[in-house]
Amino acid sequence: MKRILGLLLLTLAASFLLSGCWNRRELNELGIAVAAGVDKVGDKYRLSVQIAIPGQVASKKVGSPQAPATLFTSEGDTLFEAARRMSQSSPRKIYFAHLRMFIIGESLARQGIAEVLDLLFRDHEFRTDFYFAVSKENTAEETLKIMTPIETIPANKLFTSLQTSEKIWSPTKAVTLDELINDLSSKGKHPVLTGLEIRGDKNIGEKKINVENIYTPSHLVYSGFAVFKSDRLIGWLNEKESRGYRLILGDVKSSVNHVKCRDQGKVVLETLRTSAKVKGSMVKSRPHINIRFSAEGNVGSVECSGLDLTKPETIQKLETEMEQMTVRLIETVIQKVQTEYKVDIFGFGEAIRRSNPKAWKSMKEDWDERYFPNLPVHIQVDYHIRRTGTISDSFLNEIRETR
Amino acid sequence: MPNVKISLRQLTIITALFMIGTAILIVPSALAVKAKQDAWIAALIGIGIGSLILALQLLLSRLYPDMNLVQISEKLLGKWLGKSVCFLLLLILFLGGPVAVLQEIGTFLTVQIMPETPIQAIIILFGAIVLMGVRLGLEVLARSAELLFPWFLLLFLSLSILLFSQVKWENALPILEQGPGPLIPAVCSFISIVYLPNMILLMIFPASVNRQSEANKAVFIGSLIGSLILLLIVILSILVLGPTITEKTMYPSYLLAQKINIGNFLQRIEVIMAVMWFITLFFRISFYFYATVAGYCQIFNIKNIQPLVIPLGWILTTLAVFIYPNVMFEHNWEARTWTPFSFIFGLLFPLLLLGLHGIRKIRSKGAPKKSRFPE
Repeated sequence: MKRILGLLLLTLAASFLLSGCWNRRELNELGIAVAAGVDKVGDKYRLSVQIAIPGQVASKKVGSPQAPATLFTSEGDTLFEAARRMSQSSPRKIYFAHLRMFIIGESLARQGIAEVLDLLFRDHEFRTDFYFAVSKENTAEETLKIMTPIETIPANKLFTSLQTSEKIWSPTKAVTLDELINDLSSKGKHPVLTGLEIRGDKNIGEKKINVENIYTPSHLVYSGFAVFKSDRLIGWLNEKESRGYRLILGDVKSSVNHVKCRDQGKVVLETLRTSAKVKGSMVKSRPHINIRFSAEGNVGSVECSGLDLTKPETIQKLETEMEQMTVRLIETVIQKVQTEYKVDIFGFGEAIRRSNPKAWKSMKEDWDERYFPNLPVHIQVDYHIRRTGTISDSFLNEIRETR
Repeated sequence: MPNVKISLRQLTIITALFMIGTAILIVPSALAVKAKQDAWIAALIGIGIGSLILALQLLLSRLYPDMNLVQISEKLLGKWLGKSVCFLLLLILFLGGPVAVLQEIGTFLTVQIMPETPIQAIIILFGAIVLMGVRLGLEVLARSAELLFPWFLLLFLSLSILLFSQVKWENALPILEQGPGPLIPAVCSFISIVYLPNMILLMIFPASVNRQSEANKAVFIGSLIGSLILLLIVILSILVLGPTITEKTMYPSYLLAQKINIGNFLQRIEVIMAVMWFITLFFRISFYFYATVAGYCQIFNIKNIQPLVIPLGWILTTLAVFIYPNVMFEHNWEARTWTPFSFIFGLLFPLLLLGLHGIRKIRSKGAPKKSRFPE
């Protein structure tokens, strides 16, 4: 009897204790934020949050009236207040753990992004795996309004497109929160973030018409890096410079470049593996940087005739040309940043700190003003062409002979 | 004391789990705050010095193989002095040990996973399990430790392997940037979190181990397993997150688990990884609690620990709810009060006992010599 009573009490207690927790969040009570954007309007933050509409993504019916995602905006003195104020317009509590993109408006980026980042780092809902981008010229809000084809949720398009272009082309870089905070708190490296542009008419881009045509009149394009001086945006790199920047970082997985071929055409080389070692050293109490860049590639395409790829000397010549080209790419971006922006975005200061922490201690306070602009950088490039694709010599050679 | 016996393997596992305990959550940031990227060096030195201290503590158990800590101090300090010293030490240990760890798991869950859940709910549920375990006794605890340890190892190894692709070696450079100075406080906090509280395990072994002569070896192996796991988590935090992030986050190892992402597919498994911490924290609290209760029983000559478990358990859970007014108070308390106390308890106290033992030995050696004189 006692035993049965005890068991009964236990089940009763268990049904109270195990039925759920305070923090339960049912899927149908959450608005899943996939992208967020922040702008500054006056001295207030304007937060725009793109929320996926699950039913619209999954449904197969054509011509459903609703877009696959929706955008809520709100303003607040602080970002957190703006985020909570959003509940006035959003029917569900906004859940940030599945955020994929965080877009920073250019105007806010110019005023400084550090204050915004603290919330993202502190709040438990934000993870560190979403990517950052700076919306160039437009506000973050406008950027998040553009409809995109194929990936119906724009945030997914932004996420995957950034990942892919980082992997196979190289003027972009997917920066996560922890990397950004590491760069911001380091004295020897300033952060860069990828820029995001709206190409075409943004007024059409907001409408469904945009994805109803085969050619979308307006689309979102990543373009070049935004250069930051600690947390303030001070300028942009163009595509070529951005690629040079990525080469210095040495994390390029794959990319293509062309070199001149016998003064009349082009040969494209497909780079497949790269590594860059940035070493700092002190020579006569002056900091020096040595970059050792090595890469492997294939001949990707030949757009000229008369090039005899069967000869090893030709391959050697192409390698030298490519090496010179790479040195130029790297030199251009270093020179531009040294003369125009005067902020160390390459982590050269970090390299000095790693190799000679004592010397770095005396230099770190005026590294950007005094040392970095005149820093001698020695570049050594080693390029190996391994294969020539599925054919050896180009058939273009035959065409020229019969002409 | 009830006559319970545990095996050597169980003792090894208990020591390892007890040492990993809360340390796996807090040690990376506690070390990185002071030593930055050299936290792993501090951990390495800590393991060296800590092992020496452990050897010192083990020496006591070798000298008095069939006594527990309270009995040893009663014998060496005299009955009343020994009892009162042990009473005071155990009182503070009770606050800084089981109570603090129990509230740590509440804080961890409310900070990282369920911020709106009242901490009472978590602490009461977890405290109830601890009480149940301790009431069932040492043998049950030891066996469950034996059962759960492989799961812990599985989770820990998968965490380390899945993170290996994200390791950035340059995060560890430059080595000794600020010289060896900042290593000293880091080593101190490592020892005080990881090694010094091991002293309380003298309440459990060697008296309750079935092969006493090898108990010391078992504890030593356990401590090596535990500290190597901690060293690995420190190295991972530094190499994957970098010193700045490690230093700033409350629970770097949870952030590490969040970072796992294999091909956008195997990701968001941090809550599964959290099971690892539930296991180690459970055993940390249980053995702390068991040892303090057993200590009180010894002091007041109570034969059986069971009647004391529930009342002290009430105190444990209630105190855990409101012992710290806020998180920063807790961090301060740990740095300013717990660290010195753990040195008193884990280093000075055994030194004192060993010293007294030495004096006794010299005296008793002197005595037989005199008796030999007449020949």
